[in-house]
Amino acid sequence: MADFLIYSGYLILLINLILYSISFFRKEKVNGFFVAYLVFAFIMQMSMELLYHLHFNNLFLVNIFIIGQMVLLGFFYNSLIKIKSQKLFVKSILSVGIVIFCVQFFLEPKEFLKFNLFTITLTSLSCVIFGLLHFYNMLTEKKVYYYITIAVIFFMLGSTVLYLIGNLTLTLSLDVKYFSWKLNAFLFLVYQLVILHEWKVSFFKKSFEN
Amino acid sequence: MISASVFLNINNVPEKELVAIILYISLFFIIVAVALIIFFYFSRKKIIQKELEKIELILRYQKEQLHAIIVTQEEERKRIAQDLHDDISSKLNIVSLNTHLLSAPNLTESETAEITDNIINLTNKALDNSRKIAHNLLPPVFEKFGLHAGIEELCEEFESSKSVKTHYKNEIDFHDKDIDRHLHVFRILQELMNNSLRHGKATQIWISFFYNEGINTCNYEDNGIGFDGSNAENQKGLGMKNIDSRISFLEGTIEIKSEINNGIAVNFTF
Repeated sequence: MADFLIYSGYLILLINLILYSISFFRKEKVNGFFVAYLVFAFIMQMSMELLYHLHFNNLFLVNIFIIGQMVLLGFFYNSLIKIKSQKLFVKSILSVGIVIFCVQFFLEPKEFLKFNLFTITLTSLSCVIFGLLHFYNMLTEKKVYYYITIAVIFFMLGSTVLYLIGNLTLTLSLDVKYFSWKLNAFLFLVYQLVILHEWKVSFFKKSFEN
Repeated sequence: MISASVFLNINNVPEKELVAIILYISLFFIIVAVALIIFFYFSRKKIIQKELEKIELILRYQKEQLHAIIVTQEEERKRIAQDLHDDISSKLNIVSLNTHLLSAPNLTESETAEITDNIINLTNKALDNSRKIAHNLLPPVFEKFGLHAGIEELCEEFESSKSVKTHYKNEIDFHDKDIDRHLHVFRILQELMNNSLRHGKATQIWISFFYNEGINTCNYEDNGIGFDGSNAENQKGLGMKNIDSRISFLEGTIEIKSEINNGIAVNFTF
């Protein structure tokens, strides 16, 4: 059951990656940063899976993944925003975040080998705030990347708590240890499905018209 | 057994770690909650702002229309006053002069006859002119026989006096009970034809009415010099505003297409 959830999540991610890449090279262009995010997510998921099978600690990659996720989604939303002050806001959150992560990495590199609570909280919060900002801008305008934003906010709110208690679950007994990760895999699957839906709504027609 | 092991394992987690987890989770939710509240606050503000802008726009439009109506009214008064002055008052003046001459003593018979002829001529002309003015204000044919006959007569008038060829085609059976609405249509066409002639220097005009999916539609075209349709300034003249407000009375739509040297094509529904 857990494997099914995890691998169907990967599958949908791969499908999304292919579909969005196709649309990226067609007339109606998909935002490049979002495609980059999908590529990044796919590579990270695959490497995590690989390290897991090789019995290495892949938590370092988890931390890299959430930081990269924040940066790429930040750039993605930054490119959608048209108001100067908001662009500045997004950029400053990104740069402050990256500086803090670097400082933390040099002071306490050990933190990056487990679930880094601070990084998780900060990255997820930033993504939620970027999403809300985009929602705010969309209020009176045409909907762009509407479902993606819903998916991002939904996934961030759900998975953050699961990541935050990650260190706790490491010490649980085998029977219940993976429960939260099954839940996370389910959230990831839903997340990717909504992104797929966005593609169907926004890009399906435009990419395969001619 | 399981619960015991869980219990044991949790105890293995350092207390500091547990506190940190709890702290971060609550911090996360607090900040998300604050972000959501800020989001709702600004969203409400933005929506209300947008509504206000919309209402303001409508008000401004209505004000502009009102202004246009007043200006047109004044123009119309000026025109009527001028017509009365030029065509009737001046003639009646001469009539009154001539009648004074009649009362002068020692007039020969031929002189009296000449003056009387003059008076009769002038009064006839004044009568003619007053009929024309009244006719211009509201064509009697339109009032008696409806829009179709009114437009036919309008076309005839334009053809006879103003050297322009008109092509009029009608597929709609106009009802008499809608005469108030038809007057607007008539006025719109009058305005368009006057414009075609005065500004467009057109030599041919096409007018057609047809009934399409429950909507009455009128097509109007000419072969005049046209104007730059993409330039909004060209659509803000008094005549155009007048047409616009009549269309909004009719709850119809209007579409004006024109290119320089390519005439004008107007399509409106009513």
